[in-house]
Amino acid sequence: MKFSLVIYGAPHASQSAASALRFARALLQQGHEIHRVFFYCDGVHNGSALSAPPQDETDLVAGWQSLQEQHRLDLVVCIAAAQRRGVLSESEALRLEKPAGNLAEGFELSGLGQLADAAARSDRLITFGA
Amino acid sequence: MAKRLLALCRQAPYGNALAREGLEAVLAAAAMDQAADLLFLGDGVFQLLDDQRAEAIEQKNLRRNLQALPIFGVETVHICERSLLERGIDAGQLQIPGAGLKLIADTSRFIAGYDSVLSF
Amino acid sequence: MTLHIVSKSPYSSSALTDCIGSFAEGDALLLIEDGVYALSGPASEKITISPVYCLEADTDARGLSIPENIQAIDDARWVSLCTEHNPIVSWFK
Repeated sequence: MKFSLVIYGAPHASQSAASALRFARALLQQGHEIHRVFFYCDGVHNGSALSAPPQDETDLVAGWQSLQEQHRLDLVVCIAAAQRRGVLSESEALRLEKPAGNLAEGFELSGLGQLADAAARSDRLITFGA
Repeated sequence: MAKRLLALCRQAPYGNALAREGLEAVLAAAAMDQAADLLFLGDGVFQLLDDQRAEAIEQKNLRRNLQALPIFGVETVHICERSLLERGIDAGQLQIPGAGLKLIADTSRFIAGYDSVLSF
Repeated sequence: MTLHIVSKSPYSSSALTDCIGSFAEGDALLLIEDGVYALSGPASEKITISPVYCLEADTDARGLSIPENIQAIDDARWVSLCTEHNPIVSWFK
């Protein structure tokens, strides 16, 4: 079955992103397909390359990246929500005249239309609220 | 067949960003011809109160997002009747120019009619 | 039939109450994260609906015991609950 996940929680702020990552792993383990993971609201912080949790804590950004690498996941960070919260690609940083981009590898910035598209193209849509 | 998408809006405006970001998502979907229906439930019904003056707290008025809905083809907005009762709101106090408001008594049956639900 | 997922404590949020107000026969409720505190204390008496599932990882993490009428599940069963139901409605805040 084709799933899409929508995540509202920043990593290390609520359990939302951690639950979503566990759920994503369980989905893939059972042979389901993840059409898209859409990071919205504070969830956009999952796509920050500058997150640096202590070594004895789970690194959620790295967790998404490794899943992305293994399964070619479509990790989409909502561009409007991300700009407000300071998650920018290099090119966005340049365009908006900000000192640096910080979008982590494996994630891409895209518009809110990708959320509606995910709903339309997936058998199941599940929201991880924060 | 096109999938039926519902946006379930449960947050009051202004206190947190979810009410605004929810409506923005609905408008973006509608602009892409993937219109979502809206159900305001719980504190979400407070979004519909008229006479909001958000400039007093230096925010953009969320009513503008609501008023944009009919422009993007969202012509009916659904409201949980019980949530209005619980909050002492008379449905007559609510209006969105250009959109019809429909009170929903049985929200469970209503929700079951959709293929996917986005919670805001 | 709908799968409802509640992730906030009934002692701090209306998520569970709102969910129960929109629960139909044939639906299922899954408690995750702080939602599992619904299994503890007087809130547990408000759960008059069934079936109710809880994520065992979340109850374990919080030191909660699971009442007999509630089914504790792992992540794999969570996935299959999602395949068996549609739509999936999340209740939080």
